[in-house]
Amino acid sequence: MSGDALPRMANVTVIKTFDIHCGLFAFTMVALTILYISARLYQQAFGFSMGLDANSPEFDRYWMTLFRIELPVLYGAGVLCWSYLFLTRDRSIETVTPETELRRYFYLTMWLVVYSFCIFWTGSFFADGDGVWHQTTLRDTPLTPSHIILFYATIPIYLFFGVGSFVYAMTRIPAFCRGVSLMHAIAVVGPFLILPNLGFNEWGHAYWLTEEIFSHPLHWGFVVLGWCALALAGVLMQIVERFRELIPLVFKQDAAGSPTDANPFRDAWEKCGPEAQRQRYKPTSVSGRRPISGKSK
Amino acid sequence: MTSTADIDAAASPRENTRFKDKKGETVISVSGLTPGAARYSRLFDVLVVAAVVTIFGGAIHLHVMLTVGDWDMYVDWKDRQYWPLVMPVSMIMFPAALQAIFWVNFRLPIGATVGATALLIATWIGRYANWWIWTGFPFTEGVPSQALAGALLMDMTLIVLRNSLFTSIIGGFAFGFVFWPSNYSALAPFYLPVEHQGMVASLADMIGYTFPRSNMPEYLRIIERGTLRTFGSSVSWVSAAFAGFICIFMHQLWWRLGLFASQATFLKNSDVVKSFMGIKSSVAS
Repeated sequence: MSGDALPRMANVTVIKTFDIHCGLFAFTMVALTILYISARLYQQAFGFSMGLDANSPEFDRYWMTLFRIELPVLYGAGVLCWSYLFLTRDRSIETVTPETELRRYFYLTMWLVVYSFCIFWTGSFFADGDGVWHQTTLRDTPLTPSHIILFYATIPIYLFFGVGSFVYAMTRIPAFCRGVSLMHAIAVVGPFLILPNLGFNEWGHAYWLTEEIFSHPLHWGFVVLGWCALALAGVLMQIVERFRELIPLVFKQDAAGSPTDANPFRDAWEKCGPEAQRQRYKPTSVSGRRPISGKSK
Repeated sequence: MTSTADIDAAASPRENTRFKDKKGETVISVSGLTPGAARYSRLFDVLVVAAVVTIFGGAIHLHVMLTVGDWDMYVDWKDRQYWPLVMPVSMIMFPAALQAIFWVNFRLPIGATVGATALLIATWIGRYANWWIWTGFPFTEGVPSQALAGALLMDMTLIVLRNSLFTSIIGGFAFGFVFWPSNYSALAPFYLPVEHQGMVASLADMIGYTFPRSNMPEYLRIIERGTLRTFGSSVSWVSAAFAGFICIFMHQLWWRLGLFASQATFLKNSDVVKSFMGIKSSVAS
């Protein structure tokens, strides 16, 4: 896509050398939406009708079959994708042009959008569905209709994109190759650890009768690991910082002669001199507030 | 020499006759972006907004659901003792962190409101698609709490005071304190007293008795104990004030966590890893 979906602005001339393709991103988002809605419809159709007794043949047919298919397919797809990204890594990453680097930052951001989208469906929608399931029925197995979707389908899907974003960044973007992004690691590893924490959760539910109080401390492992999603802000900050450096380099070709490149505010600011600049941003004493400068304390 | 009035005039779309645009081009012009850069910058903004709304909507909902979810899920759990206390204390965490991220890095005083709105939308999606469509819990039983009023007050405090400490003390307290009154208008009918088997109960209690959670019929709200037995009087405000007190500290703690999470920190890779990934040793060093 060359940005046609965006609102067109008057007098915009986009340089020919920079373009990004959003087709795969759009396809992934649509496919995931269809997949998640289909999973929810499957729960609606066969959750209570076929999923109440783990020892029944219909449970085996409708739910265990799904479980046996989704695990190898989803994890297998993940391993294939991560291997592909690694094996096709840019082996001369230090000579990447600003255009290519900016393009890859866009693609990394798209990886993160898809990852966030999957986190939403998992942490909010299907986790909520798991709650309503346990408020309604008594579990006789860790493999309930809600768990088979939540823990063994939606979590592998977000792992696919979380780990994929990490491998993509490390193999294609110089800054993420020279050093490990601490916040990217936290944003991926934290939600990943929800999967092993599942062992603790199921162990507790197997031996303690918690009356399914949803805010039971048994669930707080998920909470703490979910906090790691905050670290995505750090990744976005890293992208924004480099974005600000790359944009002038990539788009300097179309800087001259464009009507919207004229900047009366900047021109007036530069002409007025330091004294007028200081006067313009002199702190007001009406409320005693400070001017916007530096970080709040 | 240009005067400061000229700067204001140049920056004002109303005064600036050279930019009679209707699509925010003046803002783009002031930012100094070229047309091509502005176009892709806007696409980047769209992607970032999509990522922020979905990941924080999901994370906040998961957090609230698993820390204080029971009080939020059922109207008969919305008592005067614990619900006004535990809900805002849990709900303030992510909004406070988002407030720090948005304000310190972008000077956008919208973080708390974004967090509270994302939580409310995510909660209602679940209530409708799961609680109503899947299991048939009536909306009257599952009406969720909202923290929008407190979040708006917290953001307003930040705009006025521009200081995280005072935002914690005033805005954080307001967030906790107004939780009860700002939810009361929606919940007031459920607090009406009714007589049930010769005893006084609330309408919310009756809904809980009528639509039992079929997994555990004994799953009823934690009955409050205490000496202030007035029916919906000062005890609610006591809980609200206590919630505000705790929210002061919770806001500051999570503001700090938000700052930590938004650090653009890289840990240096070893030369072996870098050369393996395609960076030559001379460049790597």
